[in-house]
Amino acid sequence: MNSFPGKTFIIARHEFLKTIKRKEFLFMTFFFPVLFAGISILPAVLSGMNPAEDQKVGYIDMTGSFGFPESIQSEGLSLGSSGAKTSVTEFVMYREISDAKQALQAGQISSYLVIHEDFLNTGTIELYSLEKASVSNFELSSKLSDIVITSLLKDKVDEPTLNRVRDPVNIKFYNVGESGESSERGIADIFASFGLPLLTAFLLLFSIFSSSGFLLRGVAEEKENRIIEILLSSVTPSEILTGKILGLGAVGLLQIGIWLAAVVFGSGYALPIQIEPDTLLFAFIYFVLGFLFFASIMAGIGAVTGSLQESQQVAGIFTFAAALPLIFMQLILTNPGSPFSVFLSLFPLTSPVAMLTRMGATTVPISQILASIFILLISVHVVILLSSRLFRTYLLMYGKRPKVKEIWKNIWTGSR
Amino acid sequence: MHTLEFESVSKSFSERNVLEDISFSVKHGEIFGLLGPNGAGKTTLIRLLLDIIRPDYGEIRVFGDFLGPAAKNRIGYLPEERGLYKKTRLLDMLVYLAQLKGIPEKQAHLNAESLLQSLELDQYKYKKVEELSKGMQQKIQFLSAIIHEPELVILDEPFSGLDPLNTKTVMDRILGLRAAGKTIVLSTHMMEQAQTLCDRILMLNNGRRVLYGPVDDIRKERGNNSLIVEFAEKGDLNAIREISGIKKVTEHGKSVEIFPEEGVSVQILLEELVRKANLLRFEKTLPSLNEIFIETLESASNE
Repeated sequence: MNSFPGKTFIIARHEFLKTIKRKEFLFMTFFFPVLFAGISILPAVLSGMNPAEDQKVGYIDMTGSFGFPESIQSEGLSLGSSGAKTSVTEFVMYREISDAKQALQAGQISSYLVIHEDFLNTGTIELYSLEKASVSNFELSSKLSDIVITSLLKDKVDEPTLNRVRDPVNIKFYNVGESGESSERGIADIFASFGLPLLTAFLLLFSIFSSSGFLLRGVAEEKENRIIEILLSSVTPSEILTGKILGLGAVGLLQIGIWLAAVVFGSGYALPIQIEPDTLLFAFIYFVLGFLFFASIMAGIGAVTGSLQESQQVAGIFTFAAALPLIFMQLILTNPGSPFSVFLSLFPLTSPVAMLTRMGATTVPISQILASIFILLISVHVVILLSSRLFRTYLLMYGKRPKVKEIWKNIWTGSR
Repeated sequence: MHTLEFESVSKSFSERNVLEDISFSVKHGEIFGLLGPNGAGKTTLIRLLLDIIRPDYGEIRVFGDFLGPAAKNRIGYLPEERGLYKKTRLLDMLVYLAQLKGIPEKQAHLNAESLLQSLELDQYKYKKVEELSKGMQQKIQFLSAIIHEPELVILDEPFSGLDPLNTKTVMDRILGLRAAGKTIVLSTHMMEQAQTLCDRILMLNNGRRVLYGPVDDIRKERGNNSLIVEFAEKGDLNAIREISGIKKVTEHGKSVEIFPEEGVSVQILLEELVRKANLLRFEKTLPSLNEIFIETLESASNE
């Protein structure tokens, strides 16, 4: 068939151009990052507008053993590198509770602490503030812990021990390679191995949700306005199907690209990860194959079902399957070699996300990676074949919805 | 050479026979009418010949061969239930549909421009389809079927929903296509247009072939010539009841069509009529395709 790549490409290009001009696409693509940025940046902006104020805190130390500093500085939330806002907390000592209460009521201090004599047994410190005042100082708790530790252990242990008690454990992660050499895994590596699969999983799911939505809608519209009949007189159902999937796949990739760019540039700094080229390569392969697999399923559903609403209901079943690895993410990360994890990483509905997650958590045998890609490839091929049969049989049936048994029969006989 | 051949073609959907043992051929350069009531199987037959669906039995040959992708490019198709991409610009849509028929983009542009010009739709080429009037959309649909200059044009109910002016435009176009040596398969309910346009016809009823052949032969074969008569006074209609040798009278509003019994000459009938009634107009004619259509269906339902 000499016309195969040509007509498929023409359809793909048409679908691509048509979809990116859709209002829904433009809205989703450009409004989504704004919304996302809004949600993530807004709290920081708001707290930047209300910087932590300097405050005076009174205290009554009935044990007489605490050495409060006169003041401590704390850094507030900051946006980017534009100068961290610092606030100062001053500590004022009172002998009597009544004095502190008077000072509080007079507005000289914002709150006062009472440390009772039995503190060593109870660990309780009471904080008093005015009824309407917000108790905003979450940091105070950790500051107080520091003061308590220092006061209790001062002169009893040496400086290094004191520091160790204040900051007990820092775990460093190492990988041991096949040849026995070990290498350190920094925070960035851990983020890369856990974060990348998660990010890819979300992007894959997002692209399925948005692009397959366009695909479902496109098929439903062409069925509804009957232009499908003209298309079928010019090209084969497989060409329509492949063209649509390629075109909308490109739309999905473009959308994700825009979102990624928005995340990277919007955050004002590069993501703190160094991604291995082969990880990126596998992520891309799974991304493309996974997309093809699901998009073909969606197209088949779109061809069979009568309305957009109905098709979305059926599509929901498969979308849920795609989300399974997210549900079992923890399990896969902690036990990447278990039979269940291996199964999820081979089963085509779940393999893209599951395999990427396993690859993040451990060194997956190359044979398993190749097997899963091979299974996925075969599955993509089979699903496209079945979907185009459904296309052929059901695209021209308007109105009545076929029975499941009938669809099943037609899938295998390919009747038209 | 035959442009299109059906040989004992049968097709059923879920055990319902839609077409049964259909054979016919379409000659190169003719307008071939595909007639029949709703549900007769016309659209199924068209979808079969376009290879959108496949027959259960029998053979279909287009341009002397089984329909392949290359042959599909040589066919133009206007479906009965038709639509357009509403949000797409007119020119872009025509170019897209032409490209799907294997026309290179540049040539598709040229074809689209010249077709739009010929129907004086040039100024709308950058408009979205939904902004055009219904009549214009119908013309565009017709254009989309012929933009790639097909050798075989299949038109399924091309006149449905058209006003008289657009009907004439489309009729002229169809005749123009034949003059240019194209072959046209025309499926329609409109017997008047079919009679005017078609060289040969195939009539289907309940998926079976009930009539097939040249229009003129079919009309001649269908018994005697008939008489179309218009009376000056309404009462004269009763007068003809007394005349013997009349098989049937069909009223067409002001005029009536009179069918003589077999062996009775139209000439004698006319003389009798002139004697009994005041005639405003009379016309010797062959039975219309419409008459034959209704008669055929009635006799089929009586069987």
